[in-house]
Amino acid sequence: MTAAPAPATDAPVTEDGVLLDARNVTMQFGGLRAVGDVSMQVHAGEIVGLIGPNGAGKTTFFNCLTGLYKPTAGSVTFAGQPLPPRPRKVVYAGMARTFQNIRLFHNMTALENVMVGRYCRTKSNAFDAVFRLPRHRREEREATERSRELLAFVGLENKADTLSRNLPYGDQRRLEIARALATDPKLLLLDEPTAGMNPQETREAEDLIFRIRDLGLAVLVIEHDMRFIFSLCDRVYCLVRGEVLVEGAGDIVQNDPRVIEAYIGAPTVVEEDGNDA
Amino acid sequence: MSRFTSALTIPAEKLEKFQTAAHIGGIVAAALGIVSVLLPWSYAHEALDDVTYSAAPSPLQYNYIGLAVIAVVLFAAPLVLRKPGKARDWVAWNTGARFAGYGLLATGFVGVAAIGIESGGLINVDPGGWLALVAGVVGAVSGLVLFRSPEPSMGRIKTNTIVQIIAIAGGLAAVLFAAAFALGLSGAGAFLFYLTFAAFLALTLVRTGVFGWFAKCAADNKKILVLAAFFVAFVFPFTQNGSDANMSIATQVLIFSATALGLNIVVGLVGLLDLGYIAFLGAGAFTSAVLSGSLYSHIHWHPPFIVTVLISGCVSSFLGLIIGTPTLRVSGDYLAIVTLAFGEIFRITMNNLDGSDGPNITNGSNGINNVPELSFLGFNFGDAHQIFGIQVGRFANYFWLMLLVLAVIMVVFVNLNRSRIGRGWVAIREDELAAEAMGVNTFGLKILAFAGGAFLAGLAGAVKAHYDVSVTPDQYVFLESAFLLAAVVLGGMGTVMGVLIGATILKLLPEKLRFFSDYRLMLFGLLLVFMMRFRPEGIIADERRQLEFHAEDEELAEDVQEELIAYHDHFNPDAVTTEDLR
Amino acid sequence: MDLFWQQLINGLSLGALYALIAVGYTVVYGIVQLINFAHGEIFMTGAFGAFATWVVMGSPSSMSWQVAVFGMLPVMILGGIIVSVTMALLMERLAYRPLRDAPRLAPLISAIGISVFLQEFVRLFFGDIPGMPDSKRAIPFPNIEGISGRSVSFGNVNVQISALFTLGALVVCTAFLWFYVNRTKTGRAMVATSQDPDTARLMGINVDRVIMAAFAVGAALAAIAGVAQGMRVGNIDFRMGFLAGLKAFTAAVLGGIGNINGAVVGGLVLGVVESMATTFIPGQFGSPAWKDVWAFVLLILVLVFRPQGLLGAKVVDRA
Repeated sequence: MTAAPAPATDAPVTEDGVLLDARNVTMQFGGLRAVGDVSMQVHAGEIVGLIGPNGAGKTTFFNCLTGLYKPTAGSVTFAGQPLPPRPRKVVYAGMARTFQNIRLFHNMTALENVMVGRYCRTKSNAFDAVFRLPRHRREEREATERSRELLAFVGLENKADTLSRNLPYGDQRRLEIARALATDPKLLLLDEPTAGMNPQETREAEDLIFRIRDLGLAVLVIEHDMRFIFSLCDRVYCLVRGEVLVEGAGDIVQNDPRVIEAYIGAPTVVEEDGNDA
Repeated sequence: MSRFTSALTIPAEKLEKFQTAAHIGGIVAAALGIVSVLLPWSYAHEALDDVTYSAAPSPLQYNYIGLAVIAVVLFAAPLVLRKPGKARDWVAWNTGARFAGYGLLATGFVGVAAIGIESGGLINVDPGGWLALVAGVVGAVSGLVLFRSPEPSMGRIKTNTIVQIIAIAGGLAAVLFAAAFALGLSGAGAFLFYLTFAAFLALTLVRTGVFGWFAKCAADNKKILVLAAFFVAFVFPFTQNGSDANMSIATQVLIFSATALGLNIVVGLVGLLDLGYIAFLGAGAFTSAVLSGSLYSHIHWHPPFIVTVLISGCVSSFLGLIIGTPTLRVSGDYLAIVTLAFGEIFRITMNNLDGSDGPNITNGSNGINNVPELSFLGFNFGDAHQIFGIQVGRFANYFWLMLLVLAVIMVVFVNLNRSRIGRGWVAIREDELAAEAMGVNTFGLKILAFAGGAFLAGLAGAVKAHYDVSVTPDQYVFLESAFLLAAVVLGGMGTVMGVLIGATILKLLPEKLRFFSDYRLMLFGLLLVFMMRFRPEGIIADERRQLEFHAEDEELAEDVQEELIAYHDHFNPDAVTTEDLR
Repeated sequence: MDLFWQQLINGLSLGALYALIAVGYTVVYGIVQLINFAHGEIFMTGAFGAFATWVVMGSPSSMSWQVAVFGMLPVMILGGIIVSVTMALLMERLAYRPLRDAPRLAPLISAIGISVFLQEFVRLFFGDIPGMPDSKRAIPFPNIEGISGRSVSFGNVNVQISALFTLGALVVCTAFLWFYVNRTKTGRAMVATSQDPDTARLMGINVDRVIMAAFAVGAALAAIAGVAQGMRVGNIDFRMGFLAGLKAFTAAVLGGIGNINGAVVGGLVLGVVESMATTFIPGQFGSPAWKDVWAFVLLILVLVFRPQGLLGAKVVDRA
């Protein structure tokens, strides 16, 4: 794969290097407490994993971070600033995401999909566009170049003009990542990036995430694939029934009896029916 | 999508031995057709604009001869070109021949039917007419038996730019000639006959792949094409010899197209269904009429038209904001109904601002009459002028003005579509939540589309007020909104060409086919249902849309492949084996 | 105060009419998430069907009120229901079912087409049926002895019998509907399908049949509303469905679309608001010419401040 796009280096992070700081985030749906009192820090340049059995509230927590839900309680700060609970503002602040069930713009080409990601970093308005003023032309050129770079970065340089719905599954996942990268994030949130992939594709995804980290981005990953997450992540949070059970380096979490119990179940544990919101 | 291939249920092997016969049959059919034209089709002068002469075809019949000649060429070529080569593979001779055959049948049938209806009975059909029908049947059967050709590759031919430009000029000249000719036909039967002819000629050209070549010429010289198209539209009034009737229709088509193009932003690009769009046209028209200095207006401020037009646009877009700001937050289905309700509010309000139920602004249901003619720098739009010694009347003046407005709207549409804003709009149409999560200002963009579309309609409305001379609330009813939507849907959502074609068809047909004016609305309702059922992407498909609507056309693909295999087996029994294709 | 009561009863009877039509919108929407824009036309065909039944019976005119109310009227209603249900089922089968997996815009556009088609079809061809009057203008609705044009007075409040009929019909229909949805197999299948069509199908529910049932129930109620409208106004015409349909949709949204009780409540509220607006809004804007505007303004306000409607539940968009 080809030349890496320019890294996002100008990240003004707090002195201790904390990029994302979520404190006591709680999300309540009526009587259902999907996320309770979760605190999490992500440092610049770090790959953090978020694991947990089905219905543990991982995606709900993601939605709280990215502004799809407004947390019932708790605070989220990003690079020292409180994060407004609007998806668009979150992107502007420098946090971009992918979706568990791929949500590409199906009837746009791969290149157009990525260029939509550039939307928030360009400024030309309707007036510029109608009269094709210099600002529009410059931004259009830059957005195209950057998007092509990103397509090359994820290995889709030959698929630029293919409609995204016609791409194979693995390519769609990578296109979604390229689209998220086009928003110039400092933190990338990946919701189950290897779901439905074969081992070969999973290895490629792992390689891609490492290369994203090498650009200076922090990555927060939700995953089910344990091998994947423990070989990838610097730190791992294990979420069970909406609460953080264990947090720490990969091997610590991996060997924690409570984590094993949560996944495999101890002989005495009563069966829980989770409800992934 | 066409299911023509599946009409052929006979196994391909059985048809094998009839191929040569079919080619010859097609040639015979076309020859019969040409002979038929030398005989009178009918003794009745009133039918088909007079086809009574023997050995002297009417202008309409000359067109028919053209189709027959094309059919001869298409049916004969594969017999001559038996070896593989460029000339054989570039053009889809067989598929084209099939459609030329269908065309002969359709025109023959419409011709005979029109004579029967217009002259009071099939008794008035002469041997010529029947011969044409027989020619059509033979041609269609021959075409049906033929195997389908492989996809034509004329689009890949490299052509000299000068040749391309000549081709564009020739194509546009043909379109201009065809339009002028069609408008010049007086009888409804003749018009229908010509329409059938033109539709099948176009289909044949598309299927042979000649259109692919034209499309490439056009794509390589986009600017020249657009300029030439506008030039053609510009000279159109000179072809009408001062006929006000046709120029009036043409101007209405332009007004309708301009409005539909504005609606196309909202519906086609952003995917918001606006069922009250006519209200924005109405708002523009009323604003312009009120400020025009009409004696019926109670506002005594008459700014120059250039100011009025901008005010009209702004009033419309302000209304767009009022209606859009609250409703664009809710889901799309609701928006459709709220805009519908808004259209009703607009109409009722215009009716009520008559001095008794509200302040007197619009004269209620009587509306504002006697809107004065436009006048620019001493150029009065109501007067006829001599240009190059040709008389052009009032309608031509408005035609040119609307052409300018349409050009402005087209530029706005195309340039916005190819900008970050256009991409944002399409992203919203595709997946609003994902668009928002990628940093697209979905609410702002929807408002922009809504208010912007309204602004464009306001511009068109401002001209319409002067053109129509009177503005009344009952010109702006829900049905008109539905018509606009139909134009967009029929032509192809999200495209410029499609909407222009859709608007032209929907405005032109009722004007030319007066006899069916009573059934117009009903047929139009059916048309909407059928379009959604069988070709939801419209006549001209937006490439993005086409894929969206036809994910399940594998059945057709299989049919085509089956015939392709048969075709190859027939022509190159050795060169390509069946396995290669499967 | 009498004026208030008078307008309240007027509003309630108008609202009952809206509610009867609104149920059709809401039942269909609840199950297939489709705004059946042509439902107003179903209401219209129901009224014409009832009228045609009367003509087929030989246009009976003078009879005792008992015969009229308990003999002729039920037959007319039945005729109307047969026509409207047939129309609705044809519409579902021919136009909507093929589009069930199409992009959302497609069925809505199709619905507009059907709506225009049905109006024009009735306008052009109803008069061609032997014995039927020309339908290009309003047709006087048959006089139902004992209901049409009669009224009773409570103090100074005057109540049309036809208004009472409409209210009564709403009560009976709501009770029937409650029983149908909660106590019959098809009804429970409907509830299941509305919550999750795929799972419902897996559980062996014939989803196509449930959808047809939904269309049929809505159409039946619309036909009753059509008869009620004929008796209230005294005539029917091919355009009657447009505005009534739009208002009924407003009522359905007002109550929370997809919710049957909501449609009933929404209809009554809308009717009362409309009739109160013409009385209690001062000045020129209180004139009857504005009452439709107020109804639609109410629709827009509801969508802004409570898009889920009065009785609807909030829907969360899942990521």
